[in-house]
Amino acid sequence: MPEFHRKLERSSIGFVLAIVGVASIGGLVEIAPLFTIDETVETVEDMRVYTPLELAGRNIYVREGCYACHSQMIRTLRDEVERYGPYSLAVESQYDYPMLWGSKRTGPDLARVGGKYSDEWHVAHLINPRDVVPESNMPGYGWLARNQLRTDDLSHHLAAMQTLGVPYTDEMVANAPRDAFAQAFPDSAMADAMVERYGAATNVRAFAGDRNTLTEMDALVAYLQILGRLTDAAHEQASAEVE
Amino acid sequence: MGIDHETLVGFAKSWGLFYLIAMAIGVLIYTFWPRNRKRFDRAKNSILDKDDKPWR
Amino acid sequence: MIAQLTRNERHNALIILGVVGLAGAALGLAGRNDLLGYHGLLIVLFSAMVALPVIRALDAPEPTLDREDEYYDDPIRVGVILTMIWAVFGMFVGVWVAALLAWPELTFTDQAWASFGRLRPAHTTGVIFGFGGNALIATSFHVLQRTSRARLAGQVTPWFVLIGYNLFCLLAVTGYFLGITQSKEYAEPEWYADLWLVIVWVTYFVLYLRTLARRKEPHIYVANWYFLAFIVVVAILHIVNGLAVPISWGSAKSYTIYSGVQDAMTQWWYGHNAVAFFLTAGFLGMLYYYLPKRAERPIFSYRLSIISFWGITFMYMWAGSHHLHYTALPHWVQTLGMTFSVMLLVPSWASAGNALLTLNGAWHKVRDDATLRFMMIAAVFYGITTFEGSFLAIRAVNSLSHYTDWTIGHVHAGALGWVAMITFGSIYTFVPSLWGRERMYSNTLVEVHFWCALIGTLIYVFAMWNSGIIQGLMWRTYNDSGTLTYSFLESLVAMHPYYIARTLGGLLFFIGAVVGTYNIYMTIRGTTAPRAAAGDVPVGRPLAPGE
Repeated sequence: MPEFHRKLERSSIGFVLAIVGVASIGGLVEIAPLFTIDETVETVEDMRVYTPLELAGRNIYVREGCYACHSQMIRTLRDEVERYGPYSLAVESQYDYPMLWGSKRTGPDLARVGGKYSDEWHVAHLINPRDVVPESNMPGYGWLARNQLRTDDLSHHLAAMQTLGVPYTDEMVANAPRDAFAQAFPDSAMADAMVERYGAATNVRAFAGDRNTLTEMDALVAYLQILGRLTDAAHEQASAEVE
Repeated sequence: MGIDHETLVGFAKSWGLFYLIAMAIGVLIYTFWPRNRKRFDRAKNSILDKDDKPWR
Repeated sequence: MIAQLTRNERHNALIILGVVGLAGAALGLAGRNDLLGYHGLLIVLFSAMVALPVIRALDAPEPTLDREDEYYDDPIRVGVILTMIWAVFGMFVGVWVAALLAWPELTFTDQAWASFGRLRPAHTTGVIFGFGGNALIATSFHVLQRTSRARLAGQVTPWFVLIGYNLFCLLAVTGYFLGITQSKEYAEPEWYADLWLVIVWVTYFVLYLRTLARRKEPHIYVANWYFLAFIVVVAILHIVNGLAVPISWGSAKSYTIYSGVQDAMTQWWYGHNAVAFFLTAGFLGMLYYYLPKRAERPIFSYRLSIISFWGITFMYMWAGSHHLHYTALPHWVQTLGMTFSVMLLVPSWASAGNALLTLNGAWHKVRDDATLRFMMIAAVFYGITTFEGSFLAIRAVNSLSHYTDWTIGHVHAGALGWVAMITFGSIYTFVPSLWGRERMYSNTLVEVHFWCALIGTLIYVFAMWNSGIIQGLMWRTYNDSGTLTYSFLESLVAMHPYYIARTLGGLLFFIGAVVGTYNIYMTIRGTTAPRAAAGDVPVGRPLAPGE
């Protein structure tokens, strides 16, 4: 053994291999099984994908670094369930690239914020949080209401996610920019086709209220309103546990 | 997939434990092997030597 | 500096810069309709700026002396300066974001680039990768050469590693301001910056191995083991966690290949081991070299250092999942993470104890020499932080501490108390000899820096401990009727005084860093402070030039 180690150390390459070997084990043991696992991620029938507009909103959430202050992961603790709603299931972030579970709650958890407040509330809150919550220390995001949403590359976004295994159809990929627009313009001719592609449960309305253009605010509010509502699995499981 | 989850987890956990013990024993043997004593003492003191120039 | 290179090497450097500049131009062109365009332009400008001094000195006389007779210290000198620049930048942004949490409307309320969410990663990247990374590269080059008794194996490569790495940091930080981020904590930079870092890092690794291969000492000193583990494992972590699919070659945006629970596990496997191998292993390398060197005593137990090395290398890798207790992550993975986190205490305390026992018998030096005291306090904070880390990884404790400021306090006990202190101690140890000075410009200023750093850290950490525990308790307090007593907002309001205290603590630490930078600057300029400061020369033997 010592002879071996001596040689190992003489040739630093061997030493490096030893470090790699020793250090990789933990990662392999913990992570590798997660990829073959079926139990980690529950299969549920009603899990839907993000619409192009919601995905664009999610990317704004990513861009602005919201994860630094807001988690999207309700733990299996009584107080969290009572404060935020049923605890998060793995399946709920199945299509989250990357996951936004977060690690810090300077602000509250957002895993089930969808539908909790009105669109108007969100818009006012995002423009200046202290207008609606005087004690808040959240920054304002006024530019979201001014910036036109970029939609021309949305097909690329969906295509990339399709490569990664998200069940977007080719039709969804091809129509992504149009669908993003349609979701915030319920009266437009494209709205019906959009709903047909993404399901009747899709929110179709003027999120930010501005009827002239599609803004980043529309996208972010659309995303916030869908949080925790991609599937009912968590609610169903919660009521099953009560019974 | 040929390997099912239970097998992989079982293998990972048991092998991981075996690996940990084997490695610990290996490191301890190396560390306390009497003949290594001199090398370690040399290494320990070597950094306090004058080192203003590379050795040729 | 350029004069140290032969004409051939200068040409090679220009070719490399040309290739990088062209790649930047290609990126800029492909991404002209995207934020990527700005970064393409930045790369071009950066290459041009670096090329300028090379072109200027292209025809300067070649080095006459045999370079192999000297250690290669030019890149280390530049590395130290870059370290201090990043320290000042990163810590300034840190104070800024801390202030924004206390007073959200303090600065630029309607500017996207200056909002909290974009500044915060600029702070973390600035201090971890900018300050910490440059410090690691500079000290690793220094320690590697001295302990191997050999010159670095390359003339242009060390520059490539150092400058290339700083290009990565620059792309990362400017990206956040522009809105380019993956939102993967501590791995925010996008795909092209990640790819670039892989190239730089592999070069770093090869350089390290090639230099080790030239060593004249038969045994590789333990500090190098730590540096090597740092380089190797960070490469693995970075590559695995960074795998992503760009939406097109002309876009800065990419999607990571992992989703949901797999992404969470991969991300925290990365995140926790970045702490282990970036913020611990490399800095332990510093500890094992500069602390004995400054104390002029060999390390207490060399054997213990070997055991703790393999312990840390092995066990840290399992610990990441303790970030995900009570989440959708399978239970057994959480338990495994918790167990190993607790076991980690053994090798961690072995290192901290080894450092402190080395000082046993030299306490008078610790008393008189602020530089040594920096390293002593660093070892103490290392011990405290690793204990706290194991404690926080226990599931029951974690249920209270997770998502609160307690985590932030823990991180800063490690980052300020351990990482930054050991770095400052190391830098003060070798800066004078590196520039051929007898001692630092002013030992009084080292003292000032020390006390600013220590008091700042204590204020910061105590404020966060308090706020974190209060927050955690308020969230789970029930009243008699069985409902939650406090709204989330009430817990936020209760944080306000602590956020102010934290800002002050951070400010003190920042001021210390500025003082240190000034002191180093004056040392480089070659003046010594007026003799008024004569009384505080360390009692120990002053360092001989070139040591």
